[in-house]
Amino acid sequence: MTDCKITDRQMNDRRSFLRAGMCSLASTLISTAGFRLDAFAANAAPDPGFHLVDVTSQAGINFRHNSGAYGGKLLPETLGAGCAFLDYDGDGWQDILLVNGADWPGHKREPISQPNFLKLYRNNRNGTFSDVTRSAGLDVEMYGMGMAVGDYDNDGFPDILITCVGQNRLFKNTGKGTFIDVTKSSGLGGRQALSTSALWFDFDRDGLLDLFVCNYVKWSAEHDVFCSFDGKHKSYCTPEAYRGETCWLFHNRGNGTFEDVTASCGIFDSSSKSLGVAMLDYDHDGWPDLLVTNDTQPNKLYRNQRNGTFKDVAVDAGIAFSTEGRARAGMGVDVADFENAGRPGVAITNFDNEMTGLYRLTNGGNYVDVAMPSGVGQASKDKLGFGCVFLDADLDGALDLAVVNGHIDDTVRNVSGVGYAQPPQLFLNRGKGNFVDVASAIGGGFSQPKVGRGLAYGDFDRDGDLDLLITTNNGPAYLYRNDQTSGNRSIRIRLIGTKSNRDAIGALVKIFHGTPYAATKATSHGTVIQSRMVKGGSSYLSQSELPVTFGLGKQDKIDRLLIEWPSGRTEEYKNLAAGRSYECVETKGITPLPGF
Amino acid sequence: MNNTANRFGRDPNNGHVPAMGRSVLWPIKSLVHRLTPLYPRDVPRSPALGSTAPHRTPTSGLFLGLIITLAAVVTYSAYITRQISGLRELQNNLVDRNRKDSLQLLRIQNDLNSLALAMRDMLDNDEPYPLTAWSAQFQRVRADLDDALRREQRVAPVNRTAEQERYLEDSVAQFWDAADRTFALANGPNQAEARTQIRISLRARQEALSTAVSRLLVQNNESEEQAALRIGRIYYRVQRQVYLFLTATLIAILFTSLYLIRSNRRLFAQLATLSEQRSELAQKLIATQESTLRHISRELHDEFGQILTAVGAMLTRAGKHAPEGSPLRAELREVCEITQTTLDKVRSLSQALHPVMLEETGLESTLDWYLPVVERQAGLHVFYEKSGESFSVKGDAAIHVYRIVQEALNNVTRHSGASEAWVRLRFLPDTLTMEVEDHGKGLEAPATMQEKGIGLVAMRERAELLGGNIEFGPPTQDRSGTLVRLKVPREMLNSDAE
Repeated sequence: MTDCKITDRQMNDRRSFLRAGMCSLASTLISTAGFRLDAFAANAAPDPGFHLVDVTSQAGINFRHNSGAYGGKLLPETLGAGCAFLDYDGDGWQDILLVNGADWPGHKREPISQPNFLKLYRNNRNGTFSDVTRSAGLDVEMYGMGMAVGDYDNDGFPDILITCVGQNRLFKNTGKGTFIDVTKSSGLGGRQALSTSALWFDFDRDGLLDLFVCNYVKWSAEHDVFCSFDGKHKSYCTPEAYRGETCWLFHNRGNGTFEDVTASCGIFDSSSKSLGVAMLDYDHDGWPDLLVTNDTQPNKLYRNQRNGTFKDVAVDAGIAFSTEGRARAGMGVDVADFENAGRPGVAITNFDNEMTGLYRLTNGGNYVDVAMPSGVGQASKDKLGFGCVFLDADLDGALDLAVVNGHIDDTVRNVSGVGYAQPPQLFLNRGKGNFVDVASAIGGGFSQPKVGRGLAYGDFDRDGDLDLLITTNNGPAYLYRNDQTSGNRSIRIRLIGTKSNRDAIGALVKIFHGTPYAATKATSHGTVIQSRMVKGGSSYLSQSELPVTFGLGKQDKIDRLLIEWPSGRTEEYKNLAAGRSYECVETKGITPLPGF
Repeated sequence: MNNTANRFGRDPNNGHVPAMGRSVLWPIKSLVHRLTPLYPRDVPRSPALGSTAPHRTPTSGLFLGLIITLAAVVTYSAYITRQISGLRELQNNLVDRNRKDSLQLLRIQNDLNSLALAMRDMLDNDEPYPLTAWSAQFQRVRADLDDALRREQRVAPVNRTAEQERYLEDSVAQFWDAADRTFALANGPNQAEARTQIRISLRARQEALSTAVSRLLVQNNESEEQAALRIGRIYYRVQRQVYLFLTATLIAILFTSLYLIRSNRRLFAQLATLSEQRSELAQKLIATQESTLRHISRELHDEFGQILTAVGAMLTRAGKHAPEGSPLRAELREVCEITQTTLDKVRSLSQALHPVMLEETGLESTLDWYLPVVERQAGLHVFYEKSGESFSVKGDAAIHVYRIVQEALNNVTRHSGASEAWVRLRFLPDTLTMEVEDHGKGLEAPATMQEKGIGLVAMRERAELLGGNIEFGPPTQDRSGTLVRLKVPREMLNSDAE
């Protein structure tokens, strides 16, 4: 019989209600006529196997982004701010960081006594969070954009870089629940830019996390360009109006300071207008490469040449331009092995009418945009995408794709008929390269239109599945708890580097298990390989948790776990039970944790 | 209703009638066969028919028209093929090539613009990086520019001069040479000198290159416009030819149609004349037949009848002179009886050849007499049915109807294999209908003209002479046999049909 489980919350949603009605009707027909319409039902309204619950208020998240918009239509107001799951206190529970903007100088609206800072929420381990911003010393006023979380000093506590309009800020984690601003002392001071996404990664594999920062365009409030649709009223400019700005790469000297190697490492490019960055191992050489998305400029794929320099191979790899040969408005980006083929696939969100790019990597090292045949292209055609993450939302062993959308200009509907607030999308990977958007079927108001910007995932309630965190431009943040309904199981691995950087960023984790699931690929030995890279960055202005999660369907164990550490060391563990987390310390072995 | 079934009139000749059919029809058939070859001599021809019918057919004219049309189509196809070929060549060699070249030139121009922007950034000096930081950016642009130039050379328009090619190559080479020297300079302590080089040398070369590329783009555009004009002219010519061809084709179709109509009209006229002549001939044959039969019948009745009557009377008289009981007297009586029998047969034959009753009492009475005779002689059971208010049918009309009944019953006796026949005579207010029906084998398609005989033809001709129509067919859809149905308008029966 057709499975038509509808929750009370889903019943509140009109579409879900209709779906429930249809399901009920279908069930009646099936039971009456004795037909089996399972396949039909699966195509018409796929059962996602999980649902999302909006627990923002319940969890005590009370955040509202402040773009500072006062009518001046300044470019950064459109970009929003990011979010992150991080374990800042090292208690094994994912905490939340929400970056905020600020009022523009001369246009202060908030009481000086209650400025709208970024927010750090500590996980109370019971489904709720506490605002610890002030006690953590992060109540610093700045026009924040994104962040990169990484333990650059390998002290076991993640540090935070906040990218800003103006001077970026590096906050060192003291390990005592507080942060101190080390921007100046680290050598990152004295730089004004419109920075966006950033990530920590160890490009020279010296065991120290280096810092990559994206910059959008050369912009300052004093030199803002007057753009207008009607010639009278100012509107937000497109990036063509501004000069590009190079991204930055800072090498970690290991003494708490950083060296700007932008020029010497070959990534300097004054034409770039970068918004997103993801790390990947494009050429499987164990050296981390970078994929940078640019707005109206070709994307860059910086291939690590293993000598401290990078070479842009995006054009040759086929990911610089759209299939029409046009540079799209690249926003967010994520990289993952969504085909379970051992190759890093890519998702890049773009402007409306440009579709989200979904790239699979061929054996020849070429990226092919499969957005249209996969179903992602058509579904994202009228969306302006920002944050995007690959995650196994239904724990079936195939990576799904979550995307948040929202336009940059609230007057857009007067121009193109495309909405300002747009519904987020969750594309379930149905195997064989097919993705189906099930956002409207997973409840929680997830599909309600939002002016989405940041997106991150993390298992904040330690139930083994991945929850979602969304930020919106000049609006609230949303925390969605993932509740599995299908009984699928998972296994989570937390890595701690010793020779490698302590966060193990850049480590490649592979698991091998028996029965293939929906979109998994069996090897010649009949086993299935899934792989995840421990990585920071990705999405848009955001960062997801560092532990990796593998969906296993109904499997109760994995046969093998293979870890390729950034240091070059490889470790292998066998017969690990599903349904729990493991902590693996480089060279020291693996330890099961109680539960997740 | 005045129905009469199986009511036969009295036999005026004691029911003794000579066998009908072959003995009677033979002379007619012979006559037809004999007369047929005479047709060219005896049948008058119209002057028009004689001069056109056998010699003028439309085939040759149509054949000629077909050849002309095919020749026109072939010629036109060749012309169009040549024009399309020219158009394709023009598009491939000029327009498409130009467009591809323009795209590459735009790509080159875009690269040059990127270099210009990079140089502007280098001169602005607002980055915390040395000028060498732009080296990788320059190399990326250089790689793309080199590729674009290679592709551009492959699709360069044919009218590109060698000087232009050389100038472009030399300018690009000089630019990169200057760029390399500038970066070499920037690699040292002379950043300011390098910036000066960018300002006075590199930028100038870039601008010169950009101008050269712009000129090539303009040149391509002009070539494309000229090609568009030429293509327009070709389209105009082809369009004109299409109109001409269509007009010529329409005229050809018009003339061919007119010619066909004229030919068909002539053929139909010819057919009508032939049909008329055939009908006329058949009528004459029938008239001749009837006249001959009437003459023979009268001769037999009047001449031979008188003679035999006289011989009988004389023999009777001579017998009276012979002694009573003598052998002579007995022989004379026997001769007298033979003479009387001969006389009866002559009278019967005369009646069969041309019943005098037809002229004296009309068709109805004749049939009343004739049908029992046929029944008796042919062993055919005839059901005779009369209906309607009878009217007088005499003269030639009566003869024709009588002959049709005679021939139909003769066919029943000879061919149908049936032992029963139905004869229906219906006097309708404005029509006389006569039907002869049997349930025998029915009409079969005759194998030859000889087999087909003259019987059915003669029946049809007689019907036509009567101004009526005759039908032959099975009695009903699901029953074998033959039904001959004659319908004659009443007014034709009252006039002299011949």
